[in-house]
Order: sequence, then C-alpha cells, then structure tokens
Amino acid sequence: MTAALDVIGLRKSFGGVDAITDVSFRVPAGTATALIGPNGAGKTTLFNLVTRLLPATAGRIAYFGQALDVQPPERIARMGLVRTFQTARVFPGMTVLENVLAGAHLHVRSSTLSQMLWAPAARREEMGLRARAEALLDLAGLREASGSPASDLPMGGQKLLEVLRALMARPRLLLLDEPAAGLNDSETAELSAMLRAIRAIGVTLLVVEHNMALVMDVADQVVVLDAGRVVAAGSPADIRSDPAVIEAYVGRLDP
Amino acid sequence: MLQLVQYVLGGLLQGAIFGLLAVGFSLIYRVTSAINLAQGAFCILGALLTGSIQDALGLHVMLAGVLGVAATALIALLVGAAIFVPGLSRLPTSAMFILTAGLLTFLEGASLVAWGSQSYTLDAFSGERPLRLGGLLVPTQGLWLLGIALAINTGVALVLSRTRMGRAFQACAENPMAASLMGIGVGRMQLLSFVAAAAIGAVAGVAIGPVTSFQFDTGRMYTTFGFIAAVIGGMGSPLGAIAGGLCLGVATQLAAAYVSSLFSNALALVLLLAVLLWRPSGLFASGPARRQDVREEKRVNRPPVRLGAQPGGILAALAAVLLLGVLPWWMRSGGLMSSVIITAILFVSVIGLDVLMGFTGQVSLGQAGFMAIGGYTASVLALQYDVPPLLGTLCGLVLSVACAVVLALGTVRLRGIYLAIATLAFSLLVDSLTVGLEGVTGGPSGLVGIPSFSIAGFVFDTPLRNFYLAAGVAAVVLVLLTGGMRGAFGRALQAIRADPLAAAALGVRVGRYRMAAFCISAALGSISGSLYAFYFHFLSPEMVGTQISLQMLAMLVVGGEGTLFGPLFGVAILTLLPTAFQPLAQFKTMGAGLLLVLFSMYLPSGIFGLLARMVRLLRPRGYAPAPVAANGSAP
Repeated sequence: MTAALDVIGLRKSFGGVDAITDVSFRVPAGTATALIGPNGAGKTTLFNLVTRLLPATAGRIAYFGQALDVQPPERIARMGLVRTFQTARVFPGMTVLENVLAGAHLHVRSSTLSQMLWAPAARREEMGLRARAEALLDLAGLREASGSPASDLPMGGQKLLEVLRALMARPRLLLLDEPAAGLNDSETAELSAMLRAIRAIGVTLLVVEHNMALVMDVADQVVVLDAGRVVAAGSPADIRSDPAVIEAYVGRLDP
Repeated sequence: MLQLVQYVLGGLLQGAIFGLLAVGFSLIYRVTSAINLAQGAFCILGALLTGSIQDALGLHVMLAGVLGVAATALIALLVGAAIFVPGLSRLPTSAMFILTAGLLTFLEGASLVAWGSQSYTLDAFSGERPLRLGGLLVPTQGLWLLGIALAINTGVALVLSRTRMGRAFQACAENPMAASLMGIGVGRMQLLSFVAAAAIGAVAGVAIGPVTSFQFDTGRMYTTFGFIAAVIGGMGSPLGAIAGGLCLGVATQLAAAYVSSLFSNALALVLLLAVLLWRPSGLFASGPARRQDVREEKRVNRPPVRLGAQPGGILAALAAVLLLGVLPWWMRSGGLMSSVIITAILFVSVIGLDVLMGFTGQVSLGQAGFMAIGGYTASVLALQYDVPPLLGTLCGLVLSVACAVVLALGTVRLRGIYLAIATLAFSLLVDSLTVGLEGVTGGPSGLVGIPSFSIAGFVFDTPLRNFYLAAGVAAVVLVLLTGGMRGAFGRALQAIRADPLAAAALGVRVGRYRMAAFCISAALGSISGSLYAFYFHFLSPEMVGTQISLQMLAMLVVGGEGTLFGPLFGVAILTLLPTAFQPLAQFKTMGAGLLLVLFSMYLPSGIFGLLARMVRLLRPRGYAPAPVAANGSAP
C-alpha cells in the first residue's frame, strides 16, 4: 500500500533546543492516523512541519511518494493536502453556507469573467457546488444555520464547519489540528461519526488530538509523541496497553 | 557655498516643523497602535483658536497661544472620550484609520463653519526681523520652532523611556488586555495620549502660524507631512520623528532650490514610498519592528449583509430600470439632474473601492488618484491629440491599472496601515503632479474645453444623454460585479479579508487576488475619472484630489461596505443633500465627517445593512436567522 505521508528522520530545533528529534512514521493511504501526546510533546511543531509552514532542520517528508518541500500554503493545498486550525478559523464576515463554498475554491472551473457575465455554465456549476455544500451541512446537522453568519455558531459548530470547508476542497490527505478541542461530548460523538464517514469515502486522515475517546473511535493507527520522539505506534488497542504511553501520560508507575 | 548653507538651514527649520508635527503621531501610535489622521486638524484648531483669542483679548501671541493650546486640549478631551477611545475598544486598526479620517473631515468642516474659508497668519513670537549670522539670514521664528521641536520631541522621548507612565504607555500598545490586568487604566492612558498629542499639535500649529498661512483645511497637509516624517523616522519613536522630519525638510528644500518647487512635494512622497518599501519600520526606529499585528487580532467582524433570493427580485430590478428610464423626464431641472449624473459617475468609483475595502479588506486612501489618472489621461489625449474619448478612457484605464500593478507589487509585503499609507502617498503624489506639471495638466487652474464623451460619432452632449451614459455604465458595472462577487471570485476575496492564512490553506492565491481587487478598483476609479472630465468639460486637481478619496471613503462606509449596491446610498446622500439644501452647503464637510464617524462606530454595515435588516423583518414568511442553539449540531 502506498503511503500518503512518509516522514523520515525529521528533526526540528529552535535555537539549539530540539522540539522534534528524529521522528519517523508513515500514514498509509486511505487510513486514519492519530497523532497523540502530552502537552509540549511537539505535536503542533510536527503538524507545522508536515504542512510545510516551518522548514525542518533535518529529515524529509514524502507525500504520495513525492518529496514535499517548504512552499506557500496555497501550493500545499493545490496538492490535495488540506488542513484545519487548532482554533477554528471560520471566515467571520461570511455566512455558514458561503464558508463551506469557499472551500471549493480550487475546484471552481468557470472563469471569473464568466461569473461576472452571469454565464449559464457558471450558474450551473455554482448550483452544483451549492448542492454539495448543503449535503455536507446536512451531514453535520448545520443545514438550519446555513444562512446565518459563521461567527454566530457556537464553538463546536465552528469546528465542524471548518472540517466541512476543508472537505469541499476534496483533499487527498486531510490534516486536522485538535478538531475536538472545545467540543462537548455530544458534539465530539458527532465529529467522530463524521470523521469515520470521511475516511470511508477514501480520504486519508491525520489527526492531532487530545481526546482519547475520539482517537480510539476513529484511528486505524496511533502515533504517540513524547518530548519530540515517537514513543509508540500501533493500533488503538495496542497503544492503550502500551507501558510507554501510560508513562508518557501519567508518569512512571513505580511497582 | 553660502547659498547651500542657507538652503540647508531653511531645510532644518522646515524639518523642525515636520518633526513637531510627527511627534503627535508617534505618541498616539506608541500607546494605541492606531494612526490618528485627525492630528493635523488639532494643529489648525490650535492656531485658529489662538488667532481668535488674540483678536478678542488683545494679548501677546504667546500668551494667546497658551490659552489656544489649552482650549484645543479641552476639545481633544471631549473628542477623545466620546469617539477615539470608545472606537479603539471596538474597532480594528484599519477601521480606526477610517474613523480618524472622519474626525479629520469633521474638524475641518467645523473650522470652516466657525472661521470661514479665508486664510490666516499669526504674529511671530519675537518680531519679524531676521537675525543675521555671518552672511546667513535666520528668521527668529525659525529658531523658536527648532527649539520647541527639539524640546518637545526629547521631552516625549524621555517620558516614554524613563518614567513609569512611559512604561505603562508601552504596555497599553503591546497588549491592552494584559496591561489592564496589571492594573493600568488602559482607556485613561489612551485618552491621555490623545489629548497630549492634540496639545502638542496645537503648540506646533501656533509655532508654525507665523511662518506659513493656514486655513480650515490646512490640517490635512499637516497630517500628511507629519505622518510622512513619522514613518520615515520610524513610527512610535519621538526622536525618530525629529530625525525623520529634519531629513525630510532638508531633502525637500534642496530639491525645491536646485530642481523645482514642483518636485519638492513629489520628492517627499517618493522618499516615503522608498522608506516604506525598503524599511517599513523607518530609518531611525530602534527596537524590533512589531505591534502592527497586535491589534490585527481584532478582526473586522462585520456581519455579512445578505438579502438572499427575494421573490420579487426580478420585479424590483425591472422597476429600477423603469425608474431609471423615467427619472430624467421627471426632474428636468438642471441642478438635480446634474447631481444625479455626478452620483452615478462617482458610484462607479466607489463601487471599485468597495471591491477593495468591503470585500478584500484593504483600506485605500488613494482612490481619487486613479480618478485623476483616468480623467487627465483622457482629457489631455482628447485636447492635444484629438484622441476619441472612448479610446482616451481606455488609455487612462490601462495606465491606471499599470500604476496599480506597480504599486501592488511594491507594497506586496505591506499590511494594514502601511498599505493604507502607501495608497495615501500615491494619491498625494498624483495630486502634486497634477498641480505641478502645468504644461500638461494646466496646473492648479485645470484643463478647460474638454469635449463631451462620444462613441462612434454619437455625442453625449445633453444632460439627458449624459444621464443615460452614466447610469448605463454604473448599471453595467453593478451587474458585472454582483455576478463576480456572488461566485467563487467574491468568496475568495472575502475569505482573504476574514483570514488570509486560512484562505491560503484552501488554495487561494492571496497575493494574486489582492492584486486583482486592487486592479479592479483602479480601473473603475479611472473610468469614473474619465467620465467626470467629459461630463464637466473641465478638470482641476481638486476635483480628483485626496480630499475626494476621503469623501469616497465616507460614501462607502455610510452606504455599506461589502454590499456593492449600498454605496449608491452613500454617494447619493453625500452628493444630493448639499444640492437639495443649498443653505446647508457650508455644513457639507462637517456632515460628511460626522456621518463617517458615526457609521464606522455604530452602523458598520451602513444604510444598506439597515435596509436589509428591515426587509428581512418585513418578509411575509417572517424569516429571521434562527439563533443556533448551544448544541447547534444536536439531532
């Protein structure tokens, strides 16, 4: 099976302090991988390295077999690598529906000129996008709110909205930065159902997450990071009983 | 040689003025990270008040000056407490720019009402007779200026760097929230800096008063030059302000002496643009460039105004077209007709500004600059080379877009206020060229005898024809942009306005879209400028000067940003009201300023937003956006 993401010997130091030390893991295409670890483990740094916002000090990253260089975020998105943000960054001046539609930016084929001229083809395409966006909103239970300002949604709604927006971009690899942060239990359950549905349609997922319930529910593979190193990797069931993970989270349990 | 020394000396004295004007900007920026464009208005207010007090009480100018400065500080206290400080707590930096532009216009308008439009001078502090030093002539007032400037700028620098209050000021700018948690009264500090800056401005105004004459709207120039000096020296640094001022003064004086006085203003602006591009944090700024983004966090949270699909939408459009057709037959009278035509022409320009500001979120203070390019290019080509108006308009458009591209490429690294400053500098540069290049543009008196617009022999020479021309162009632009903005293009722009990084993460090429928006607004400004010239058969620098940029800003904000149609209300109100109520004409400037202030603070979605809300309430189905329940996603 090809790897959607192959991280090999990645290192990142900030002024001599290693935030990430020799991290290697792979994300097989079509699976959901969760990246977990206690605060300060280097998850966010790793995330920024993978989305190429930060240059790595050493090591390399392959994306579907191709080397991934540091490049502007819009290029990254063009390659099908779409991310969400830790604090939901919905577009406040736009409605919920428009936020989702904005995600389709890369896939709009009709030219700006034809949009300006109200060309029938452009209208048809717009209607198609709209139908897709509304279907997604239905999936997340946000259809009712589609006409209200995105900033009026509660935190959980904004998080879901951001995931929907990313989905509209038809990602090959979707990176989610703590999607469950700030969500209550029912919202988390909803999110985890949605993530399973996303994986089922063939989108590869890499999720940085604290919420173990979500991780156990969604992930095929869990990579545990502590102090900048991978301390364990495996199926959720293996990870749950791995002593290194327990140690990373609760400290050493002396016999 | 002696001559050179004399010029340099003149430059230093001029520079002292700039430095004195600049320090007020630095002080306010240091405490609030906002730019107060109204700073120059306080200088003039101080000078005008001093003049009146002196006349009324017959005091010596310095004594009257003390009272004048005190009175100005009092006015600043009221303005600051009622408008500036509340604005800071609720508006992002870009909106503060607009708010203070409104304040500037308002104070100018108020001065116009109180003191009329004639120009004034003050007495010199210690007689008019210049000192003779060697072979050099030194005006005593110049020495006063230099002394006052050095004293005030050093004093402010010391207070900021050495005292407890200075550190509190600093904290307010770095992080207002944290500062207030530390027990610093942020609002009080902001008010204090505003009043202190206004008082310093008034001192500057009184000290400059004997050297150059001033009138109600000279403040705009003071704002500009003080601001340029502050940017060159490094925003937020009082010593940088005086250094920047002196550099600017010497450079402009030498340019005026050895090249031409025309180029002294142009040089100042080129200098500013160069500094902005090369070292945005200024030549003499100490410490890391920062802040700029602290308040950027406060996102423009203007709720989207959407009318949605109205059942009667098509009927309404038909009715509008019918109304447009009948309107000119109903109002035969010349004055009203002319105002309606002007409204339509300006609307074309303001709708361009809306694409740039309302949708893309970039403040531009230079829209009139593109009107000037379009207007002058088409007029000059028509007058001197008999180029058909349509072709001339296209040439102007190409030139405007080319300028926009160059400006956008040069300023690509600039954000927020720095970009707004660059557009202001551009507009002022165009101003100074239209005034200065007398051989081409006719100088201050303008171009006369510009032909009417014509297409293939059909001449638009009657008001009726001009009405259909202007309304037609406006309608076409409106339809095109509505189509563009409701689709992917408009969404990309709005996404950039809301959050450039998140937009880029979705694949939006932020730089390219910003450039496109800038070009669209430049093109529309240019077309509007050309039509303006062909309609009036006359074009002068002040018809397309920087004050028009500010007025168009007011029209946009009053009408409703980001709504395309809304600006029509703003343009119509600010154009038609002064015509409809001629006796109120002298209140026009003041009213425009007041409206700009009030709308940017209390009604950010403008008249259009208000109307949209009413339409929603009146809608038969009684639709209101259902408040999303706390667990909005629960089944």
